[in-house]
Amino acid sequence: MPGTAADTATEGTQMSESVVDTVSHQTGETLLDVQDLKTYYEDGGLLGGDPVKAVDGVSFEISRGETFGLVGESGCGKTTLGRTLIQLETATSGTVSFDGTDITELSGGDLKEWRRNAQMVFQDPESSLNDRMTVGEIIREPLDVHEQGTARERREKVRTLLDQVGLMPEHYYRYPHQFSGGQRQRIGIARALALEPEFVVLDEPVSALDVSVQAQILNLLEELQEEFGLTYLFIAHDLSVVRHICDRVGVMYLGNLMEVGPTEQLFQRPENPYTRALLSAIPEPDPTVQVDRITLPGSPPSPRDPPEGCPFATRCPVRIRPEDIDASDAVWDRIREFRDVIRERSRAEQSIGERLKERLGFDTALADSEEIVDEEFSDVDLPRDVREHVEQAATYLSDGDPDAARAYLREVFGGQCDTETPQYYDVDDGRMSFCHRHAQEHVSPGDELRRRGYDTHDG
Amino acid sequence: MMETEPTEDIDQPLRDRLKAHPGPALLWGAVLCVLLLLEGPTYLDGLLGAIGYGLALLPGSPGAEAFASASAFFGELPHLLSRELIPNRGYYDGSAWQGTFLGLEPKYAWLIRFLLVYAYVAVLLGWLWYGYVLFRRHYRAADWTPTDDVIDRLRSHYWGLFGLAVVVFFITMAAFAPVIGPTTAEENIEGPYSYDMQYYNEDTETVENITIGEANLGSASRGSGDSNVGIWSYDDFGRFHPVGTLVSGKDLFTFLAFGARVSLFIGLGSMAIAGVIATTLALVTAYYKGVADLIVVLTSDSVQAMPALLLVILATVVFKNHWIAELYNGAMLFILLFALIRWPGLWRAVRGPALQVGEQEWVDAAKSYGQRPTVIMRKHMAPYILGYLLVYASLTLGGVIISVSALSFIGLGITAPTPEWGRAINIGQQYVASQSWHISLIPGLLITLVVTGFNALSDGIRDAIDPQSEGAEGGAAGAAAGGGGG
Repeated sequence: MPGTAADTATEGTQMSESVVDTVSHQTGETLLDVQDLKTYYEDGGLLGGDPVKAVDGVSFEISRGETFGLVGESGCGKTTLGRTLIQLETATSGTVSFDGTDITELSGGDLKEWRRNAQMVFQDPESSLNDRMTVGEIIREPLDVHEQGTARERREKVRTLLDQVGLMPEHYYRYPHQFSGGQRQRIGIARALALEPEFVVLDEPVSALDVSVQAQILNLLEELQEEFGLTYLFIAHDLSVVRHICDRVGVMYLGNLMEVGPTEQLFQRPENPYTRALLSAIPEPDPTVQVDRITLPGSPPSPRDPPEGCPFATRCPVRIRPEDIDASDAVWDRIREFRDVIRERSRAEQSIGERLKERLGFDTALADSEEIVDEEFSDVDLPRDVREHVEQAATYLSDGDPDAARAYLREVFGGQCDTETPQYYDVDDGRMSFCHRHAQEHVSPGDELRRRGYDTHDG
Repeated sequence: MMETEPTEDIDQPLRDRLKAHPGPALLWGAVLCVLLLLEGPTYLDGLLGAIGYGLALLPGSPGAEAFASASAFFGELPHLLSRELIPNRGYYDGSAWQGTFLGLEPKYAWLIRFLLVYAYVAVLLGWLWYGYVLFRRHYRAADWTPTDDVIDRLRSHYWGLFGLAVVVFFITMAAFAPVIGPTTAEENIEGPYSYDMQYYNEDTETVENITIGEANLGSASRGSGDSNVGIWSYDDFGRFHPVGTLVSGKDLFTFLAFGARVSLFIGLGSMAIAGVIATTLALVTAYYKGVADLIVVLTSDSVQAMPALLLVILATVVFKNHWIAELYNGAMLFILLFALIRWPGLWRAVRGPALQVGEQEWVDAAKSYGQRPTVIMRKHMAPYILGYLLVYASLTLGGVIISVSALSFIGLGITAPTPEWGRAINIGQQYVASQSWHISLIPGLLITLVVTGFNALSDGIRDAIDPQSEGAEGGAAGAAAGGGGG
């Protein structure tokens, strides 16, 4: 196929070599100001139920001309956040001011008019282009919607755009099928830029592409940013890409921003325990280096039922423990696992049969509560008070009330992290972290990690 | 094949492309005009007649008369495929055939007209196809489109092509019913005692006049003795009957040709209405989801929960004397009934694809630059479900044809005298074991053939739009095969 060569022609496929150096374009002027933004997905079911709290209270600012990175594991809400910022999702609460206008309040003609300011480049170039339309029609559609210029001028504009994103004007009448993944992504970028927006959300724009092509698309994005003075929100889970392209980074976990700050500082000296865990997952290119990764136990909690207090509390390696219980690290680990199991139990939906049995007075107790306790604690020595608490919880469990067991465990074993939502602490110049351990009275996350036997970047 | 074009011309709209290189288009257009002019009066007659019929239904019938007379005027004009040009009726005066085309036997005169009709249709369709090829070669800006692949796949799908041929045969039969039969429905079936004919009486050796009704009495097929006019034979009055006569002595082939009209009209009409309903609802529910979806699910479930056949029987009885049952002898009522009954099936068939395409990122992209929902549905979603709709609609259409025939068979369908295949089967069923077997068997075979044809065509379309489904069970379109037939 003609043109495919363009993507693979560039020699030197190592991204770190071919990506042009990030230049900071920041002007310091705030373009986007997000305050306490929440986006919940309602089930749509007649019975209601807990909404999915995809974005659960996020605040940050993006300056004009900067590239703001958003990282986090899958399902942490970063894509939803990006989609809310361009009003593809409706915010549940909070504000998004764009140049001083709260866009969550816009609707109808105002919203349509505003939309030309903010566009999105999608993750999957296979799915983001309508295969039944020619490339020209695809790129021209935003111009048609906003009725810019005459038909001839629009066609002219499309050809210019094709050229600007590194395609040929004669690709106008080709169909997306005839292009490679990288070229399709270029088409998607051209479409996003057609209305000359100020702000572009890049939703993992290179994660579906070959590494060699990734570098070219990233370069293209940087060149276009320079040329058009664009402000980017760059969503990614590839941390090395983020480190290259972003001026500032926000780290997301379970709908919350855990840490926000300038890229280099954040990568070199992460503060938040979650950021530390995330960064320790970056593979080390030198095979002789021994790294003790911070592996997080368990899986992220359901966003329908996020933990009270700190969202990261269920998996945090440096969770604050209550002072009145004295137990070894091993015992605390088991307690955490035990609480995870109980948590899962209380979340599990009762089947209709079980509900019916309960109504009719049959015993719906979980017969295996003894087994669970045995499995968790048989090979560790439990201090007496801990054992009592565990047995009490097991009793609740065998009474068929996992919710009570869960509440009980939270009360006796939960520290500050389980009960109080942390606040954002200024930990560095322009950097904020969402963790109780930055408070005066606590040992800092880094020190605590080292105390508990983890390797850390800055230690 | 693709002409190399200079880069600066790549952006031209179609009009400019035509101007730049008008030769092939002009030639093609001229030939098409000739082809259409050959039969122009027929088309105008049909079109104006239909408008006039529609206007006559309105209160006060505004302008209906004008259209009817205009239609009649064009009906009188000479054209290629007409009884006047190639007459097949005449009498044998002892030495030669009088009144037939070139003095040929009525058999051959009719056969020539019959074949000419199909030759004309074949040439017309071939020319339209050639026009498409010309467009691809000279005028289309894109050198490849996704539709090309679909068409190429269909072209090599022989079972689908067989279905297409059967469907074209059937549609031609319906469209040219007035000229394709050896006689007309008006003369032979609806008002046989209002028309006279001449025949040669061998006893008196004179040419005598007789009403067609009386002649029909002598050409009846009643199974026993002399009373049978079978396939490919003449009756006593020198009339040729390609597939024999009915119990009443009327020509079966004419009956079948006009019956095809009714079946096709009901089938296509009900599928068009049901298809529009199904597509609209599928797009709306896939785009808005939630409550809209729930409402449509409940509605369609309710419709499907009704016993369809009983509902139709009930409706035919309830509407017996209603004006709507008067339209085309009840055909209009059936169109509405079958559209009402069959849309949930079509909607369910396209709902899955619609939900799938609604989740695509290009739909989000269109929303993100403010495209209107109606345009998103039409431009970014509808093209992906229309193929599936076509598959299911042609499957369901076979089912509708069977249902209408079945209703006519039990005496509830299209009322006499309007011909309907199911009624012919009913009329002939007691003669199945006699020499008059053709009365039931021929229409029965035709129904089977037509329904098979529509199913084969839908198989072909399905495999063409979704090559992965070919031979494989399951999958979105794979399930299509089991859906219809009714």
